[in-house]
Amino acid sequence: MVSPVAATSAAQQTDRELVERVAGGDRAAVRLLFMRHHARVYRFAARQTGSELMADDITNEVFLELWRQAPAFQGRSEVSTWLLGIARFKALSALRKRKEEAIDEDEAAAIPDTGDTPEVAVMKDDKATALKRMVNALPEEHRTVIDLAYYHAKSVVEIAEVLQIPVATVKTRMFYARKKLGEALQAAGFERGWP
Amino acid sequence: MSPDENPENMSRRDEMEALLPFYLNGTLEAADLAAVEDWLATDPAALAALEEAEAEFSGTSAANQAIRPPADALSRFSAALDAEAGVERVASPSLLSRLWAGFMAIPAGVAWAAATAAVVLVLVQAVMEPGGRGGPIEIAGTEAANMPFALVTFKPDARIADISAVLSGQGAVILAGPAAGGVFKIGIPAKTAADYERIVGLIAAQPFAETVSAGRKPANGG
Repeated sequence: MVSPVAATSAAQQTDRELVERVAGGDRAAVRLLFMRHHARVYRFAARQTGSELMADDITNEVFLELWRQAPAFQGRSEVSTWLLGIARFKALSALRKRKEEAIDEDEAAAIPDTGDTPEVAVMKDDKATALKRMVNALPEEHRTVIDLAYYHAKSVVEIAEVLQIPVATVKTRMFYARKKLGEALQAAGFERGWP
Repeated sequence: MSPDENPENMSRRDEMEALLPFYLNGTLEAADLAAVEDWLATDPAALAALEEAEAEFSGTSAANQAIRPPADALSRFSAALDAEAGVERVASPSLLSRLWAGFMAIPAGVAWAAATAAVVLVLVQAVMEPGGRGGPIEIAGTEAANMPFALVTFKPDARIADISAVLSGQGAVILAGPAAGGVFKIGIPAKTAADYERIVGLIAAQPFAETVSAGRKPANGG
């Protein structure tokens, strides 16, 4: 039986240490990183593409890229930020490719929504449910900074890295994203002090 | 420059509102953190604003967590990974890999004894589903060379959270794997044969278990 002390020590093996193992050819370390991060990467890709089918492919590709590129990882950013950056690149590439092809409606498999019209949805929403729906309805560039800050717990600088945009742009996109959420809440009859 | 990239018209309050998400996620740098805390302490409207941001935090988390990754993601990724080249860059295979390679090359009865005696890694990895569901799976090479164990394969649709809950509930740990055929070596914290049979039987009865084979049993046979 592993002692609690040993368990605590080993549980703290960092993402970077695992990437070092991956760089040395350790496939088990890739699987550990996959188990740690695949759900978040998958959700990020699903939000980027609007397609769970595409997200599945992208997530696999992200971790295969980790396997291939680990020797080049320089540790300047968090591993999770690095993975999201790869996912962002692959999602944009996949979306570009899809635009060039005829979109098969059956294949799109968009993330399901409530099926309600906005008016009906508002009538039966509480504020929490309304906010969830309104976040989903934000334009992609606004929803992405909201997702990266609130769900992925990324800093301004890390979001700038993932999206390849200036730090100031992250702040202004966040400002407008939150402003739109506030306006949507007010339009739906919820009190809001700002904007 | 698009409107989103022009911060010129942002008021002090606008700036603080833009920083609140980063205040809540704990990533603000010192200067911004001080500015937000000063605002929260001096502006009567700030606490209401913080509550709004907290509601957005919850709504965004719920929106993301409503997206469920496929249950068989790990097994499919493992298959894709196994198909990847990589040997050419492996200067020094991991100890675990070498042990497995050696194990697969020699008779089973001898191999398990050699492997359990030689494994010195202690790699206990907490594997948590984001959002906090499920407990940790301990993936452990161990200094406990004489620990009883069983050999287990999991069904393709097995969920990490389900495996985690059962293994951690019994104090069981993954000692090694997956080997060829997807076999995991599960350490069983049993002092008696009866304990061993109970825990192994419980694992075998789970919907996620595909095959369960007995390995080393407690030394005292109790």
